[in-house]
Amino acid sequence: MAAKDSPLKQFEIDTISEIEISGYNLSFTNSSFAMFITVLVITLFLTLSVNTKSIIPSRWQLISELMYNFIAQLLSDTVGENGKKYFPFVFSLFMFVLVGNMIGMIPYQFTFTSHIIVTFALAAVVFIGVTILGFFNHGLKFFSFFVIPGVPFYMHPLLIPIEVISYLSRPISLSVRLFANMLAGHTLLKVFAGFVVTMPFFTGAFPLAFIVALTGLEVLIAFLQAYVFAILTCLYINDAYHLH
Amino acid sequence: MNYKNKNLEKLSKKIDSLEDKKKYNNYNKKEGGAGFGFKISTEIIAALVVGVGIGLIVDNYLNTKPFGLIIFFIFGALAGFLNVYRVMRRIEKQR
Repeated sequence: MAAKDSPLKQFEIDTISEIEISGYNLSFTNSSFAMFITVLVITLFLTLSVNTKSIIPSRWQLISELMYNFIAQLLSDTVGENGKKYFPFVFSLFMFVLVGNMIGMIPYQFTFTSHIIVTFALAAVVFIGVTILGFFNHGLKFFSFFVIPGVPFYMHPLLIPIEVISYLSRPISLSVRLFANMLAGHTLLKVFAGFVVTMPFFTGAFPLAFIVALTGLEVLIAFLQAYVFAILTCLYINDAYHLH
Repeated sequence: MNYKNKNLEKLSKKIDSLEDKKKYNNYNKKEGGAGFGFKISTEIIAALVVGVGIGLIVDNYLNTKPFGLIIFFIFGALAGFLNVYRVMRRIEKQR
């Protein structure tokens, strides 16, 4: 669809091998390939880095322990004692988004988090899981989550729909934030890369310098968005335990 | 003796300044303007999308053509403000 040199070309999905099961298109695409590589990188990194298990950790072991501690601290800060059970879930989510973003920062690599369907699927898993968790913990009392305490009763018909919509908007804001940040950042990089080539004489050096700075910022955003995704998941899990 | 004390004093001053820097950095650990704008705008947009979606579904099933959309659009907007309020409160708490 897009022109050959469009800055949006990088987001196009190419089918690598076509697979169709009972009418559904389940082709292995460049997006699936990027996810596959991401999972492979995470698995190899985490298993190999803690393989030696020395008391004085090597650099690789230090990095993986840092990540472990980062999420463990996040969970114990936001959820508390109950949070330990959800460590594997939050950690996998964090690592998947983080490594996916970082692999997207390598030139010519595909960024699967720049597609809203991917981020929305992740957010929907969180949302549905947290809702089930809430019902599991509180039963039908979970509905009292939508009732703000200390509000006069005649305000409830107004406030309950607002609370419900606010609750339903969680997966959308969670997914749109990650997707929009990645999409905007990568498009901006490509647009400025276009300036480098088209600007006359040596003036192309200015956008080039800007791209270098922007790449650093993008790496920061890649980490920050993974962090935001993880911390919001923690907050939602906390909400499922402590109504209000 | 005196020389040693001086060195120690220097060192403690250095540590203090570094710690101050660290504190300052922690205090200022917030995103730039764009990140903040993204955060706020996605909250409002998400609530509005949900509100409009519910409104359209209600209209579709109950045949109340414009009213479901209007009412739930307003609810969505209010929910968006509520989301923004909550995000702001969380940010304030972090400081």
